[in-house]
Amino acid sequence: MAQRQAQVPSPPELRAKARRPMVPVFRAVLWATIGFVVINAMAAWLDPSPNSPYLPAVGAVAGWFGGLIGWLLGIGGYEHVIRPMFGHPAPVSHSTGWRQYFDFSTNHKVIGTQYLIFSTATFFWAGLIAMAMRFQLMSWRPTIFQYPQNYLNAVGIHGTLMMFTVATVAMIGGLGNYMVPLMIGARETVFPKASGLSIWLVPIGVMTVTMSPLLGNWTTGWRGYEPLAASDGNGMLFYYLGVFALTTSSLIVSLNLTTTIIFKRTKGMTWNRLPIFVWGILTVSLLNIIWLPEIQAAFIISLLDKLIPFNFFNALGQPLGYAELFWLFGHPEVYIVVVPALAMWNELLPVFTRKSLFARPMAVLGLVFVMMLSGMVWAHHMFTNMRFSEMLPFSFFTEMISIPTGFAYLAAIGTLWKSRLRLTTPALLVLMSMFNFLIGGLTGLFLADVPANLQLHDTFFVVGHFHYTIIGGMVFSWMAAMYYWLPKFTGRTYSEFWGKLGAIWVFITFNLTFSNFFILGLRGMNRWVSSYPHYLMSENFWTSIYAFLLGAGFLLNLVHILWAWNAGPKVKENPWEAKTLEWHTSSPPPAKNFDVLPEVVGSFYVYGDQVPEPVAAASQIGGRAPSV
Amino acid sequence: MSDVVIFGILWIVFSVLGELGAKAWVDSAPQGSGPYFGVASNVGLVGVHAFDFLVWVALPIFVFVALMIVFSMVRFHVRKDSPATGDAPAQFRNNKAFVGIWVVASILINVLIWLHPNASGLETVFAAQAPQNNPNALVVDVTARQWEWIFSYPQYHITQSLNAAGQDVLYLPVNRPVKFVLRSYDPFHAYDYQIAVIHGFWIPAFGIKLDVVPGETRQLYLTPTKLTSTEQNPMTRVQCSEVCGPGHPYMEANVHVVTAAQFAAWVKGQQAAGN
Repeated sequence: MAQRQAQVPSPPELRAKARRPMVPVFRAVLWATIGFVVINAMAAWLDPSPNSPYLPAVGAVAGWFGGLIGWLLGIGGYEHVIRPMFGHPAPVSHSTGWRQYFDFSTNHKVIGTQYLIFSTATFFWAGLIAMAMRFQLMSWRPTIFQYPQNYLNAVGIHGTLMMFTVATVAMIGGLGNYMVPLMIGARETVFPKASGLSIWLVPIGVMTVTMSPLLGNWTTGWRGYEPLAASDGNGMLFYYLGVFALTTSSLIVSLNLTTTIIFKRTKGMTWNRLPIFVWGILTVSLLNIIWLPEIQAAFIISLLDKLIPFNFFNALGQPLGYAELFWLFGHPEVYIVVVPALAMWNELLPVFTRKSLFARPMAVLGLVFVMMLSGMVWAHHMFTNMRFSEMLPFSFFTEMISIPTGFAYLAAIGTLWKSRLRLTTPALLVLMSMFNFLIGGLTGLFLADVPANLQLHDTFFVVGHFHYTIIGGMVFSWMAAMYYWLPKFTGRTYSEFWGKLGAIWVFITFNLTFSNFFILGLRGMNRWVSSYPHYLMSENFWTSIYAFLLGAGFLLNLVHILWAWNAGPKVKENPWEAKTLEWHTSSPPPAKNFDVLPEVVGSFYVYGDQVPEPVAAASQIGGRAPSV
Repeated sequence: MSDVVIFGILWIVFSVLGELGAKAWVDSAPQGSGPYFGVASNVGLVGVHAFDFLVWVALPIFVFVALMIVFSMVRFHVRKDSPATGDAPAQFRNNKAFVGIWVVASILINVLIWLHPNASGLETVFAAQAPQNNPNALVVDVTARQWEWIFSYPQYHITQSLNAAGQDVLYLPVNRPVKFVLRSYDPFHAYDYQIAVIHGFWIPAFGIKLDVVPGETRQLYLTPTKLTSTEQNPMTRVQCSEVCGPGHPYMEANVHVVTAAQFAAWVKGQQAAGN
């Protein structure tokens, strides 16, 4: 790419004038608006109805696709994708500094940072919605949500955004995009343009889901259960479309990273030497590639069912068919959330214990077997409506999946034993994540047991269980990774005091909040309710207080990380004395990552005083030229 | 003392203490139904006994891993200013005995808890669902609609049982099997096939729930084992457990489990009222 641009020289000031008519984000908003209005008007013209509102259901869906295309072209797709198809040279991005994060980019580090920005912003936005829900639940009768449908809308938006923008994105689209090429010794990813566009599907998806109530209330929660979805408000349509944008974004990330891991590994980076975190990203990417098209197809069927209607999933069709399709994706989804977290533990523990990773093949095999088993357990979400004959096999596979999950603990515990544990903030957060996920996993034993499940299903016990796995497992690991890689992102570090205070604060308030969920569920608190019997009020009140403190704790960590990112103390290269490749270049890394591509000659996970460096020194490989 | 011995002793001590605490929890309600805050039906008892058994099994596992985390933080922690710098002196990348025990134990535990309490409990639940094991069962037709529970007693010609305030109410005689026949449709708008959605028939105190699916008729047999009512224990209520639209939080009905004589009197009252 750089070579082709060099052949078309033009004075920089002319180029700047000709190619920057407007800030990309503003232009994208304008083009998206035009696309939406034009296509919606066309739909209204083709399908007129004297009684239809200005924004009919068909017009909203068609207009949305017009808006999507306008948005993607406006953000840079026009110059970077469409024009080059007709032989025009691809432009160089002019943005530098913070501006580049609001522009189209092909640099995987910029894209990774963009994913982290959108995931973090959405985490706090959807978290704010959770705070509103907890405020409502302080009282047994309506307070801020005057009507249950408003509350259920909030539940659905909170769950959808947290799932498809944070839990399955932050560590894959964010950290994966940023770190995987660095960790395998690559200068770029295989599909940089697709990757540069994929990130801009995220804000569209978030906006679509957030604004869905404008089309009409939807009350199904994040699962969009049929046949309720078909008779709910038209906001359902924007749920399908928003999730469609978000899952397409994740799908592109996964295709890009899988291809990059297969084809762009540097010399000596054999499969046996691949870092654990990269193994984690590879396994979840395969899960994404297998299961995201499945749920997208299910959502397209549901969307058409709602528009036409087909009666696929109501009493005339197969009401449980949607639930089967949803959970067929929905259970692998939870492993998409947690596998990068399990990988992160075993990535960080050897660094902070100064000890070789214990049973490394088991740690990798655990991730792979979780991936393979995850498609065989979905119906355990449906014990209350399945045939008796299905209960035994699905409970069997559900119990069995805890065996490979346990391998992550096996490796972590073996690494901790007789180590030299340096209790920095990232190490502390990994240990906290292990503790939280332990509770999340063990409460899963109770839910996998069918006789017990028939009581616990659809109660707050389940809500507690999956918040323990997702916040407790994934979000804590994500925070550990952010503190660990902060010196890599910025060349700066954080304050140990504030880092530890933030970690301990969220650990205590998280456990206070969500341990109460188990008891609430056992006492008969069911899900998706804005009002509940009076006897549950006192416990709900205190749970809400703890939840507000938890929200404040996350905010504290955010402020601290932002401060450290911009103004934290400068730190030396490789402050943790880690061995993986991302630490073998400057911090922050240069545009093409490595001046000289490193060569791997040993394992990253073997420690000891006599162990040679796993990476050959630059002088030894004789300065291989950059092959762009 | 070596680390292994110290850890082993601590593990046993904390596990025993934990199991004592668990026993107090389990026994905090009759028949080991503490975790469910009491159970008032035969099938609910199967569920809570499974729950209890899993508490016994999960506790030592929880103590093992949680203690390992805390133990490492205390015992293997190196301070920043410590003279012990550099890599850990003990470097091992495998321990066949530990890995072998871990793998075998995790397989055995999982197979065990699948067989008992899961499969064994399910056999009990399945048997409790067999018509021949429920002689003289009281039939209650349960109709779920957006958003109301409607109870009919075909054996007593009660079409819709109501209390004095005109609310749907469920009366059951104690210790007599009940056959719930569950359907989801709207009898008041039977022409509209699109408004029936999935509901969940759940009486928390009975310890079991079953989804009510449009277009299907499902059956649930159980036997109430305690005299109770919503007024005495709010967990004795019919509560929709599957989200079914805006009215979902309010889709509940009061329950009364009464003696056979009281039930007969209540039936007479309903018939006299023309319900």
